[in-house]
Amino acid sequence: MNFNGRKALRLALILSGAVLLVVAGFGIHGATASASTLEAALAGVDSQAVFVSASPPVGQDNCLHCHIAGENKNLWTPLARWSVFGVFGMVFAFGMYRSASVWTGRKAWKPLWARTVEWVDERYELSPVLSKLAAKPVPRFAMKWWYCLGGITASLFVVQGITGIMLAFYYKPSAAEAYNSILFIENEVRFGAAMRMIHHWAANGMIVMCLAHMARVFIMGAYKKPRELNWVSGVLLLILTLVFGFTGYLLPWDQRAYWATTVGTDIAGSVPAVGNLVLVLLRVGWDVSEATLGRFYGLHIIVTPLLTLGFMLAHFMMIRKLGIAKPL
Amino acid sequence: MATTNPEQEKEGVPFFPNHFMTEFYVVIGILILAIIVGTLGMLFPVGLQAPADPLNTPLHVKPEWYFLALYQLLKYVPPQILGINGPMFAVVGIILALLVVTIWPFLDKKADSKKAMRVRAIGVAAFVVLAIALTIWGEVS
Repeated sequence: MNFNGRKALRLALILSGAVLLVVAGFGIHGATASASTLEAALAGVDSQAVFVSASPPVGQDNCLHCHIAGENKNLWTPLARWSVFGVFGMVFAFGMYRSASVWTGRKAWKPLWARTVEWVDERYELSPVLSKLAAKPVPRFAMKWWYCLGGITASLFVVQGITGIMLAFYYKPSAAEAYNSILFIENEVRFGAAMRMIHHWAANGMIVMCLAHMARVFIMGAYKKPRELNWVSGVLLLILTLVFGFTGYLLPWDQRAYWATTVGTDIAGSVPAVGNLVLVLLRVGWDVSEATLGRFYGLHIIVTPLLTLGFMLAHFMMIRKLGIAKPL
Repeated sequence: MATTNPEQEKEGVPFFPNHFMTEFYVVIGILILAIIVGTLGMLFPVGLQAPADPLNTPLHVKPEWYFLALYQLLKYVPPQILGINGPMFAVVGIILALLVVTIWPFLDKKADSKKAMRVRAIGVAAFVVLAIALTIWGEVS
């Protein structure tokens, strides 16, 4: 007999099933005996003597020993009982055997995550695209820290997005409530002061990193043909970052915010020909007011983020297409 | 991690997982910094000035540090140049400078050289020194 692992497993399952049956049978059998009788049986005392001496409960008789010993003449009830349990036991044993063959003969299982990935990939065919993206080699000359500055700017943008959303949950863009909602964030909201601090410093860091990235690209001449539009989109991203800073500065609605915006929009208003138009568009009127706050809030949390995401996407796709510029 | 493709080995490392892990560590570093900054923020909050009051102009109005250099530049432009509003010239100048920066790749089309690179580096250094000087001047004035 070829005794391989699969058969061994099958045999072990059947044997354990049989053992389980015997144990279960013993359990059913001994369940009515008192605790002391069971202990005595386990201790190895002659079982027949013990069971004979134990009197079965009135009207509830399932002691086969008693019947075999002749104390009870009604043999039919236990016989029928054992027949039924015996048939079920055999059905159970056969079931165990079949389950064992199905189990050992099954195809190897894939982990749930692998099956989920396959499910999605079968429908949307993402893996060719993703593997192409993933396999793109990064040149060795780019493994320097100063090639990291743009990536740091992008990840700071993500930090700004997350902390900005958290601040927007509590901020109220109205002249009456803006200042108090900032106080509320600082003093009442759990980790509100931390979120505001991170938002504040990541904004400064983003501008510094943006300028540093730009200086690196400029000095190394990475803007030259064919990467002209990378540079143009990068300058637009810098301007958008500054717009973020300028519009976000007004939102606390304190003296510094109000007057910095007044002066800033005044400067924008001194552009010849279109100055007044720009001024009115920015302030929504001739003065900095609640309407200005609403406009800057909309610019800060909707318009500028969407434009920035768009230009970032274009920026990254162009970098992917053209690769990292080889330094001289 | 070893690359299986010798061509690729010569050219560079695969983006995933090699370079991806490098970037992952950078991001982790940024997050750790953010947590430190946040913790400091809970001890020393960013803070607020008095509520905005349109009727009460403070003595010193200053923009954020990244506009401070430009602001300082504007402050020292004479009010009248050739009988026209002086700051207007400065604002137009700044916008033109930004435009030049934006379209710079279309102006500088020559093949790159070590010498041009050095000139650009010196230019950037001069610009940075000027900007820092103007910012500090703006901060203390």
